Amino acid sequence: MNAIEIKDLKKSFFVKGKNIEAVKGINLSVEQGEVFGFLGPNGAGKTTSLRMLTTLLPIDEGEAKIFGYDVKRNPKEVRRHIGYVGQLGGTDIEATGRENLMLSSMLYGMTRESARKQSESLIELLELNNIIDRIAKTYSGGQRRRLEIALGILHHPDVLFLDEPTTGLDPQNRTNLWNHIRQLKAAGMTVFLTTHYLEEADELCDRLCIMDKGIIIAEGTPSELKQQISGDMVTIILKKDHMDIETIFDGNSDVLNINVEGKKIKLYVRNGAIAMPDIFDIIKSNDIELETISLSQPSLDDVFLRQTGKSLRDTGGTF
Amino acid sequence: MMRIIFEIWILFRRKVMETIRQPAWLFIGLITPILYIVLFSPLLKNLNDPPLSTSEVLNTFVPGILSLLAFINGASAGFLVINELQTGVIERLRVSPASRFALLMGTVLRDVVMFLAASIIVIFIAYLFGFDVHIWGLLVMFVLLSLLISIISALSGGLGLIFKQVGSLASIQNGLQLPLTLLSGVLLPMSLAPKWMQVIAHINPLYYTVEASRILAGGTINSMVVFKAFAVIIPLTVITLYWSTKVYQKAIA
Repeated sequence: MNAIEIKDLKKSFFVKGKNIEAVKGINLSVEQGEVFGFLGPNGAGKTTSLRMLTTLLPIDEGEAKIFGYDVKRNPKEVRRHIGYVGQLGGTDIEATGRENLMLSSMLYGMTRESARKQSESLIELLELNNIIDRIAKTYSGGQRRRLEIALGILHHPDVLFLDEPTTGLDPQNRTNLWNHIRQLKAAGMTVFLTTHYLEEADELCDRLCIMDKGIIIAEGTPSELKQQISGDMVTIILKKDHMDIETIFDGNSDVLNINVEGKKIKLYVRNGAIAMPDIFDIIKSNDIELETISLSQPSLDDVFLRQTGKSLRDTGGTF
Repeated sequence: MMRIIFEIWILFRRKVMETIRQPAWLFIGLITPILYIVLFSPLLKNLNDPPLSTSEVLNTFVPGILSLLAFINGASAGFLVINELQTGVIERLRVSPASRFALLMGTVLRDVVMFLAASIIVIFIAYLFGFDVHIWGLLVMFVLLSLLISIISALSGGLGLIFKQVGSLASIQNGLQLPLTLLSGVLLPMSLAPKWMQVIAHINPLYYTVEASRILAGGTINSMVVFKAFAVIIPLTVITLYWSTKVYQKAIA
């Protein structure tokens, strides 16, 4: 059985007299034990999808099953099997960390005794010892996030949903949290996360799909996706703007695709080592002056760029 | 059933702890009714000829002030809900298998208990000034006003979940609060009002509770006015609690 099974999931909102389709029919399945990622810019429909899967938002159309339980028909059972850490976090900041853990444990049906035991082991796991009895208002961003992860997993969920788990964290805390997520995976948990950080998707996810404007535009392992951008990428930066840089590479069999952003031109090529000299010659023979030329492997951002015509970095992702 | 009661209990305890840690709220909640008693009720003495005694004034005035207190305390629920929407607490609780009714009732019960605590202090102070205490009448009045504050709290919480913005909630609640309280005889009995106001007052549920509270505080329990008030308030309580539970189930973008 798959951990998550989604068929033609749709959601639209009625905003200011207009019907806005936030999720336009997505299909996917996530296997047990996978770390699966939703990568996309803000407003792509990632969070809306996640909120439907976690029973927070009614499903308009389509079907979603979590460990076989139908989200629409059996939300209560789904809730028992999932953990969720939202973008907003969900720490009760007026209470201590321990009170947060105890309340949640008991809402999930644990006895006071097992709630206490479970809280202790999570405090240990997420290194919360020094702060757990302080009012959560006083926590730093990283501390609060760790508590929230603890709140998300205290009932041993089969799937953990993380909505933008590292947004707002500094690099050190981000790496720290990545390690915690890897530990959860190692313990057999299925993790479903959304992110607009490419590095995060690349680093953590076994498989991911790229989402834009309510649809899934690509799906696969990070390396599969990068291979879709077959070959290498040559980036050249011109000294001056050039009007029709695309046309001078027309008919060149090395160059598969071109993306122009002002003076920065990305050429997707089959084999970088072979294409570089040719590209250099073409540039020279057209009397174009170069600032720099470089060769690189495509990143997930290039996959995104290829599919949507825009860079993820330009669409609201902050780095 | 036991499960829901347990959930309500732990969620209620969470809200109580939160309130106790913010003593400023308690203080503000108490200061309003006391100011009314100390700074407003003396004005009422000379409205009558011959002037009323302090004790006569308080007997009319205190039950109204307690109704107002119930109204104001209950109406703060929505703002706390919006606060917790913004920190994601509501979302986290909604993703747990806890009953949606329990999620609502934790807050409602906190409001009821805090109201009762404040009321007892107000009554004690009023008693020192000469307010006549009729225990049984007051107890029935507390039941009635507890239902009233449950209605207001559930309504305010539900509206908070729907509107999500402090600004919109505040304008809706203020828009309702002033006409509802003025047309209920909170400060002065509606018997002083012209006929047309009395007619309008009859569609205001708060009017019935205020009228009944005065009679109950005066020691009369077996009265048509009291009966009518419960006949209005009980169905309204059921309807608002049901509606607000639905909102917790369905919400929220």
